[in-house]
Amino acid sequence: MRRLQSIAAGVSRAGALVGGAMLLAAAVTICIDIFLRYAFARTVGGADELAGYALAIAGAWGLSMALLSRSHIRIDTVYVRVKSRAVRAALDVLSVAAFAVFAALVAWHGWGVLRLSYESGSRSQSALETPLAIPQAVWLAGLAFFVAVALLLLARALVAWARGDLDGLFRLIGSKSATVEAKEEIAAVEQALEKR
Amino acid sequence: MSAGISLAVLLLVLGSSIAVAAGMLLTGLVLNQVYSPMPLTRMMGELAWSTTSNFILTAIPFYIMFGEILLRSGIAERMYNAMVQWLSWLPGGLMHSNIGSCAMFGSVSGSSVATAATIGVVAIGEIQKHKYNERLFLGTLAAGGTLGILIPPSINMIIYGVMTDTSVPKLYLAGFLPGLVLTLLFSLTVLIACLWRPRWGGEKVSTTWAERWRTLPDLLPPLVLLLIVVGAIFLGLATATESAAVGIMGALAMTAWRGRLTLGMLREVCEGTVRTTAMIVAILIGAFFLNVVIQTIGLTQQLGKLIKTHELTPAQVLTAVIVLYIVLGTFMEELSMMISTIPITTPLIIQAGYDPVWFGILLVLLIQTAMVTPPFGINIFVIHGIRARGTLSDVEVGASPFVVALLVMIALICAFPDIAMWLPRAVG
Repeated sequence: MRRLQSIAAGVSRAGALVGGAMLLAAAVTICIDIFLRYAFARTVGGADELAGYALAIAGAWGLSMALLSRSHIRIDTVYVRVKSRAVRAALDVLSVAAFAVFAALVAWHGWGVLRLSYESGSRSQSALETPLAIPQAVWLAGLAFFVAVALLLLARALVAWARGDLDGLFRLIGSKSATVEAKEEIAAVEQALEKR
Repeated sequence: MSAGISLAVLLLVLGSSIAVAAGMLLTGLVLNQVYSPMPLTRMMGELAWSTTSNFILTAIPFYIMFGEILLRSGIAERMYNAMVQWLSWLPGGLMHSNIGSCAMFGSVSGSSVATAATIGVVAIGEIQKHKYNERLFLGTLAAGGTLGILIPPSINMIIYGVMTDTSVPKLYLAGFLPGLVLTLLFSLTVLIACLWRPRWGGEKVSTTWAERWRTLPDLLPPLVLLLIVVGAIFLGLATATESAAVGIMGALAMTAWRGRLTLGMLREVCEGTVRTTAMIVAILIGAFFLNVVIQTIGLTQQLGKLIKTHELTPAQVLTAVIVLYIVLGTFMEELSMMISTIPITTPLIIQAGYDPVWFGILLVLLIQTAMVTPPFGINIFVIHGIRARGTLSDVEVGASPFVVALLVMIALICAFPDIAMWLPRAVG
């Protein structure tokens, strides 16, 4: 299962990179569009639409990376005041289970959206007339992967719990305290500023 | 009745440390089950797709990416040094440069955490060098950083604008003057503190006019970016999303000019952007679903009725909302606090006759206050983390005079709404 998780981490990193690259490409396209609008008084059109798809796809594929790096926001005001490690572990498992339900629900109903677009052959109402099923399929793949990652994490956490390995469980799905999160933000800033 | 239960369910679910996004979705499910005969879950797919492929929201990842690039461009350090030359003659010295740099960086960045972290890392070494009162110095960084979301661009304003159908350019215009006033208030706070206790102000930094003029060009890059990003919106040349895209290109060009544009840097930018974006997207999906449920079960109307039966005046409603945010803001993470409460508070405030643009600015000020009030104030954690020693309460104490300044600002904007509303009206 550990192997599975490192594969999942690799895939979600790749997904995030592609998503980020799509966003960057969308920004470039928009700039070209603006340039043409003011320099030649004409528009290619569709740049905004593509940017929307880029956000949906990057967002969906990023969900799993954020889950693996424990970046999703949790209100831990009560959590950090709970002394019992067992109760904390239970809260962590509850949280990741809730996330699995969240992922499954959104993906399931997202599947409905994709099926409808595909069956009715609906296209976007724009100059591009994009068959909506194409961006939606990539989007849904990201959501489906998110479900898989959430379930994998839940399974690994349950195994760790059954073995009594609470430290392992916290490493997998524990709530990151705000201090830890602040430290990561700072580390990123320092690294960025020192690279010259 | 259902209003109270709804709020209780939401707070209970979020309090149990379930991830905020999942918590809001599940609260929506529970409320839907209990109060509405219609199964709204079927809308979830359509909602998730239409929310996340929304062009206006694309501005969010763009601003995040813009910030990630700016950070790596070397603009911040040079800007800070120039600010030191120009502002450190004031009583309080570098602390004014901290606030000035935060305001300037905030005017190109849409995030408070990024602003506090960036200026904080650059400035923190100066405390020891010039023997400043450490607490107050840390306070200027934590509080100054919050300016990032008030001075446009602002990620929080975009989220507010999309969730409440309010014009983002108008919100930007409305945030500009309060941002300026608050910057001056922060500086005034330092000034008063250092006139009262001159020792807090540290040793003078010696500068010469030659040095000042030499560093002046270092203020240009952020100014140019500010003009591109905000100017284009104000002049109606580009939408918020478009100007963010142009900003990305501008920041990339400056990074390349400084010789820092590499493939590895771009990879870091992409990863960082997507991680933060996904986190926000998850919360937005949950919030939009909860929003639909709340509207369908008529929660806002119920609250409205409640207000009518108790004959509350608009001012009383407003006071109640402000108090609610100050209380929630002490212990809740700021972004989730904002997103999970907007569907309930904004309709109430609008029903009471207040302008949604004006309330957007007030809300941002309340979120800023939340960011520097313990026990949960994200900017306090950031600055404490950068300092890497001492206690958290040093930063909390240091930030407290600025909390007062923020409360004064909130009172000002309530007493004189025109501070926010004059500019959007003048531009039309």
